[in-house]
Amino acid sequence: MGTTEVKLPDIGEGVTEGEVVKWLVAVGDTVEEDQPVVEVMTDKATVEVPTPVAGTVKELKVSEGDIVPIESTMLILEEGASPAKAPAEKSQATEPKAEAPAAAPSAASAGIQSVEPPPADIHVLATPSTRRLAREMNMNLNEVKGTGLAGRVTREDVLSYAKGAGATSAGAPSFAEIPKLAFSGSAGGEERVALRGIRRKIAETMQQTKQIVPHFTIMDEADVSKLVETRTQAKAQGEKYGVKVTYLPFIMKALIATMREFPMFNASIDDAAGEIVYKKYFHIGFAADTPNGLLVPVVKNADQKNILQISKEIVDLSTNARDGKISRDDMTGSNITITNIGSVGGTYATPIINHPEVAIIGVYKIETKPVWNGSEFVPTPKMNFTATCDHRLIDGAVAANFLKALISRIENPTALMLEMV
Amino acid sequence: MAQNFDVCVIGAGPGGYVAAIRAAQEGLATCVIEREYLGGVCLNVGCIPSKAMISASHFKHRVEHDASEMGFEIKGDVKLNMKKLVAWKQSVCDKMSGGVGQLLKGNKVTTIMGEATFKDSKTLEIKSSGGTETVTAKNFIVATGSRPIEIPGFKIDEKDVMSSTGALALDEVPKKLVVIGGGYIGLEIGSYLSKLGSEVEVLEAGKGLLAGVADPDCVQVVQRKLKKNGVKLNFEAFAKSFKKTGKSYEVTFEKAGKSETVQADKILLTVGRKPNSDQLNLKGIGLQMDKQGFVQVNSQRRTSIPHIFAIGDICGQPMLAHKASHEGVLVAEVIAGQNRAYDAKTVPAVIFTDPEIASAGWTEEECKQQGHEDLLISKFPFAANGRAVSIMETDGFVKIIADAKTHIVLGVHMVGPEVSNLISEAALAIEMSARLEDLALTIHPHPTLGETVMEAAEAALGHAIHIIQKPIGKSGAGASAKP
Repeated sequence: MGTTEVKLPDIGEGVTEGEVVKWLVAVGDTVEEDQPVVEVMTDKATVEVPTPVAGTVKELKVSEGDIVPIESTMLILEEGASPAKAPAEKSQATEPKAEAPAAAPSAASAGIQSVEPPPADIHVLATPSTRRLAREMNMNLNEVKGTGLAGRVTREDVLSYAKGAGATSAGAPSFAEIPKLAFSGSAGGEERVALRGIRRKIAETMQQTKQIVPHFTIMDEADVSKLVETRTQAKAQGEKYGVKVTYLPFIMKALIATMREFPMFNASIDDAAGEIVYKKYFHIGFAADTPNGLLVPVVKNADQKNILQISKEIVDLSTNARDGKISRDDMTGSNITITNIGSVGGTYATPIINHPEVAIIGVYKIETKPVWNGSEFVPTPKMNFTATCDHRLIDGAVAANFLKALISRIENPTALMLEMV
Repeated sequence: MAQNFDVCVIGAGPGGYVAAIRAAQEGLATCVIEREYLGGVCLNVGCIPSKAMISASHFKHRVEHDASEMGFEIKGDVKLNMKKLVAWKQSVCDKMSGGVGQLLKGNKVTTIMGEATFKDSKTLEIKSSGGTETVTAKNFIVATGSRPIEIPGFKIDEKDVMSSTGALALDEVPKKLVVIGGGYIGLEIGSYLSKLGSEVEVLEAGKGLLAGVADPDCVQVVQRKLKKNGVKLNFEAFAKSFKKTGKSYEVTFEKAGKSETVQADKILLTVGRKPNSDQLNLKGIGLQMDKQGFVQVNSQRRTSIPHIFAIGDICGQPMLAHKASHEGVLVAEVIAGQNRAYDAKTVPAVIFTDPEIASAGWTEEECKQQGHEDLLISKFPFAANGRAVSIMETDGFVKIIADAKTHIVLGVHMVGPEVSNLISEAALAIEMSARLEDLALTIHPHPTLGETVMEAAEAALGHAIHIIQKPIGKSGAGASAKP
């Protein structure tokens, strides 16, 4: 009979830590292999962590609300339920990672303590003093991504990695430190809540994007008379399939057609390599308001899906996002984002780009406005559009032409049909 | 009554005395135990005395060969007083060894002269002429080094068959010297004795000299110079036995299946060194060792017994004094509670042949094994360097190997004058992950031998100034000048 430590597994995609939302088991509970034991919220998604072995819960090592790095022990299980099977093989899996630096002479073997964290691999590009700094901070330098030339791990990389923000994720340039200013309000009349989970991630992402990207926004309005007509018909048709058809799939289709015409809108800047990356696929993100904050689910390969398929996917993704059940995979990899936050109200907004995308398209509430047709005012449904662009890649005139081309497709759904795949 | 210490260092060589001083600097009660001489093999019968002899022989060689071209007319032969030379060499060693004693004393390290044995893993018994004493310590650092390997038929007694120790002590230049083993120790000693007047023949079992320890292009330059200086090189020759014939010896060796003999006044056996791990009762207390007898350690140089550390030759290759010193500092700091681990990228190596060979980082083959397929390789010859020409030592080159994509310097191999003093720049470049451009754009003072490093970096980039280069391609397309 042994004990096993159940650890927060590496969830992948650069997730470095998670917030313990809820324990699903209590001390004394008997659990089966693969049974979810705890709910953990990572940057954007909530995941249920299963136990790799069966047993009895002996101790919970973390409390709800704690932020825990991956690989840290969540709970301790007493293995007794099925002693025949699990222990030997499983305990090996939870063993700390192997030692073995590159050039050590007589390699450590059984009976010789391994050194933790392991020394920097010979291929890690870091100066001797940086290697020493990392060691003194008890950091495994092999896990720190270098932002320097050819992947050099700089002193700054080590310091920011230590801050735990996982700050230097792939290719992000390092920036001058933003001062962390204290807020000292008047005593009383205030409530303090920890900045964590999705809120913290939003704060970091927005801050970083604003530092990297020089934004500008162009605005215009579209006559959506025909689109309203088309959508009304489509909505009725969709109901037969049990699908709620909104305006968003039409806007996506118009956007994809316009991005084909203006490829710089389907691009990213690889700052580390100093290259512009043009994409041949169309993953369209859309901003969704959830009780926890803003999330951006992604319709993958939207160019290869029809209006009905996209409609259904939007509904599913939104529901999952609202319920906190959406996977990380469903929220990553978008090429451009549509935000329809304006549908609530407001004429125009200047949203922040979802970096490393280079533009975000704002769509707003349809309002019937009096339009002068030369002899009289005609009530016309109008919808405002904004294109907020990364000025490093997109010039003002290009953005103006892009928005004009997008609006022309919105105004002529029939023409748009011709371009659909 | 046993003396008790925080740290007990066994062996006062370049690993041990450095570890002891750093431990004392860290405020730890430290002792060092030495059975023979402070400074170890390195200061007394290795690196330092051999360099003294090499400098002296080179000096003589220059007077005999280069002086006349520079306009010095020497009447008659340069007469060597070998006894005086050996005395001077000894004064160099004594000065260095005495310095170590001063440093140990100044840092309040207790020095105990005697032969140590582990009674158990926490107690050491030390026998000396004055009797036996016992030392206990919280931590031990084993730094007892290595000794020469013998081969069947040749037992080292420093009379009939000499190791480097016996050769360095010779107070007469042997007329004919047979060197068994063409490694760096045999070549260094063989070369200087040759310059001092010996007829030298090297019996090497391999196909070439310095196999596996130096860049083959560099070895070629040395091999050529040895032949020019009259050293006879006999490859794939396996020494079998020797017999005394009057005052001299007849050495029998096998070559291509046939037995041959060579006459010698002295026999020098330099076929390698092995760790002294069979001493101190290390096996008795249960220290783990590998097949070659190296004490097994982790990256903090901790052995299988956690409070015992091992550094230097006894814990693994490369058996070089500067590696031992680096480990000595590391271990002392680990014991003092600092978080340290061995993570150096390269241990530079120097060989004091004529001309010298020096290297840092990987060879071309190692680069490929490490996953660097596309390489930029350049060679810059000393013949194109003003300082080398003005000191009349133009044999050799600086070779740089870099990753073709990132331009990061992966290996530097040199053969030529004073390259032992030039290699540190290359070692720094490799530790700092420098690119070729970093070396090329660093202003190197003129006129110096060091300019060759900058020029070799330029050559790898395709635009060295002092050699004619064709537009550069990939692997292998370096400078076109002859080495």
